[in-house]
Amino acid sequence: MTAEPPEETSKIYKLRLFVTGSTPRSTRAIENMRRICEENLKGQYDLEVVDVYQNPDATRELQIVATPTLVKILPEPLRRIIGDLSDQERVLAGLDLQPLA
Amino acid sequence: MSTPPTHDADNGTPPTASYVADLEARLREAEETLDAIRNGEVDAVVVGGPNGQQVYTLENADRPYRVLIEQMLEGAVTLSEDGTILYCNERFATLVGADREGVLGGPFGRFVAPGDHAGFHRLLSRGPGAAATGEFKLRRSDRTAVPVNISLVDLVLDEGAARIVCGIVTDLTNNYRRSDELAAANQRLEREIAERGRAELSLGLALDAAGMGGWDLDLATGMIRRSLRHDVIFGHTGRVPGWTLRDSMDRLVPDDRDRVERAFAEAVKTGWLEFEARIRRVGDDAVRRVHVKAQTYYDAGQPVRIAGVVADVTDQRVVEEQLRQAQKMEAVGKLTGGIAHDFNNLLMIIGGSLDMLGRRVPRDPKTDFLIESAQQGIQRGAKLNQQLLAFSRRQDLHAEVVCIDRFVETFDHLLDRAVGETIPVKIVRASNDWRSRIDHHQLETAILNLAINARDAMPGGGVLTLTTESRSVDHDVAARWGAIAGDFIVVSIADTGIGMPPAVAERAFEPFFTTKGIGKGTGLGLSQVYGFAKQSRGFVTIDSEPEAGTKVSIFLPRTEEALPAAATTEPERPAAVTGSGLILVVEDDADVRRVTAGMLHDLGFLVREAANAREALALIDSGTEVDLVFSDVIMPGGQSGIELAQELNASRPHLPVLLASGYTAEEIIPEALFDELVLLHKPYSQTELSRAIIDTTLKRSGRSP
Repeated sequence: MTAEPPEETSKIYKLRLFVTGSTPRSTRAIENMRRICEENLKGQYDLEVVDVYQNPDATRELQIVATPTLVKILPEPLRRIIGDLSDQERVLAGLDLQPLA
Repeated sequence: MSTPPTHDADNGTPPTASYVADLEARLREAEETLDAIRNGEVDAVVVGGPNGQQVYTLENADRPYRVLIEQMLEGAVTLSEDGTILYCNERFATLVGADREGVLGGPFGRFVAPGDHAGFHRLLSRGPGAAATGEFKLRRSDRTAVPVNISLVDLVLDEGAARIVCGIVTDLTNNYRRSDELAAANQRLEREIAERGRAELSLGLALDAAGMGGWDLDLATGMIRRSLRHDVIFGHTGRVPGWTLRDSMDRLVPDDRDRVERAFAEAVKTGWLEFEARIRRVGDDAVRRVHVKAQTYYDAGQPVRIAGVVADVTDQRVVEEQLRQAQKMEAVGKLTGGIAHDFNNLLMIIGGSLDMLGRRVPRDPKTDFLIESAQQGIQRGAKLNQQLLAFSRRQDLHAEVVCIDRFVETFDHLLDRAVGETIPVKIVRASNDWRSRIDHHQLETAILNLAINARDAMPGGGVLTLTTESRSVDHDVAARWGAIAGDFIVVSIADTGIGMPPAVAERAFEPFFTTKGIGKGTGLGLSQVYGFAKQSRGFVTIDSEPEAGTKVSIFLPRTEEALPAAATTEPERPAAVTGSGLILVVEDDADVRRVTAGMLHDLGFLVREAANAREALALIDSGTEVDLVFSDVIMPGGQSGIELAQELNASRPHLPVLLASGYTAEEIIPEALFDELVLLHKPYSQTELSRAIIDTTLKRSGRSP
């Protein structure tokens, strides 16, 4: 099996954010993620927000251990970023958009 | 975190640089996760287990929910399966008017109004499943009731844990108040509608009672909305579908159309409409007179509607015309009566003087002829005067109960003679014994007058019919003729002659109105009929059509009184006799007084004269020995002859009183005096005077002292 050329898939970012209802960090994480996506990935992302209260089994597939957690599903490799996503540099690095300083 | 590396992990290939980088990244991720958990940057951790993934919330993470529940404006509770309150928010405590401490741990049921207990327990015991709601009344701790909506849903927590029910309690007071207000507003509206309905109904009833129809013309479409009565006035039996102004116009008689069209055109400008016009009624095709009154309604200065009423005034106009005619006859009657009174006195003077002259001049055949001619002239004048007085209803009526049919029976020959041989007379009698209180001499005169008129109306021959019948007259008809409702005997004379146009028929009863040639009629015949009927409390109608003949009907009120006993034969009347004694003559007319005094002188009496009752009483009181008082009835100013007679009757019962009159209104002679008094009619002759004096004296002496 061969890996698909990264050029072709890097255009679309498939992201999933796991939160717990409207807890303060979850709320902040949703706001932060929206902002980062709008500023850096406009038109190239697909963000799905999952409330683990409502759908606890959704955590199993992606091996979520805590919330809030952002998962970059595509492009590969899969990455998890935990916390309220207030550190934009770290988020961008996790998304392979900018290398860590 | 235990996901195997995606690249070549198990194929024995040595780790590549990318594999290392991947591992490094994973390591970093794991470290970051641990750091985040350690630093409290997460709200919850997810732990996989045999029962699936469990989410464990960290401290304070559910605070927003708590705040939400605490601060929301609905009451929130959690209940155990048996209805014990495990938790309640502040709002619920406020709602039931209690402290939270007093609420928790107690049964929810104590806040449910007694009547709603069963319902609430049914709701609570529905068990797990979908949420259930119901409306209940909560009983606050101050015993007031609050309407609420309660929704209950089972709270799913750990499996095997005790059942917990979550409830939301919504205060419905405001909803109820609003729906109460709405219901009240509805009720008000309904009342107003009902009231307006009633007002419209009573307006309709009032209009209907007044015989008026309502109508409303839409100027834009020309359509007219009408009440049922409107259509009935136009001759329909029910409501007609659709009616335009054109329809109304078409029903007018052609002569009135232009005028009414102009009136409508004007109404748009002036704002009001009023006219009277003739319509041809549907059904019986009768021409009726309608009165229309209406108002124009404007919208922003533009005329949009004309609405008003219509009434059939035909009958009203007929009655008004009859009233006007009656008033005219009344006025003419008064005038005629006045003339007749004076005329009588003149005849009295001439007749009396002639009488005395006749006794003084030497008689030869030529003188006899002249005196007789003059006396005949006076008789004719007196007869004429009787007719005038009859019309003015001031003639003395010698009324007695008469059986009309039996009376008419005697008329056969009389009528034949009056109308001549060429005209057959047909008498149609009802053959009944109906009676009326009348003066039969007057009835005789009236029938003869009518027969003569009928004869004159049939120069080319024809049939004269005299009919008697009984008819009930209702209040409306009677009032129209100034009579009292009841049963009437109707005596009609009908001819088959030339008839009369309406204009002539209208004036037929007026005195001196005649269509006959000069010298052929006095114009008093129908006037006498009219006066006689009126004085008998009846009335006369006239039906005539040119070329179809005339029918005059005399309505005489029926009476239940019995016929008087057969008259006793009158004692043999002595011829003029001379007498002696003192007679007091009371008369306001000096000439009449002088003539009367002269006649009495000639008869051998001594005479004293008085111009009025006051003078007469003074004379008697002064001690003058009077044997008889001879007084006129009507004397202008002061006491009448009747009042004088009454006074003397009281003070001097043995003094005889003789009354003379050209006329008396019957009603002013009191019944009590009728038998006591002798009444002498002007003009009277010397012989009549002497007989009356004897009658008076006899009557008086017949009394017990």
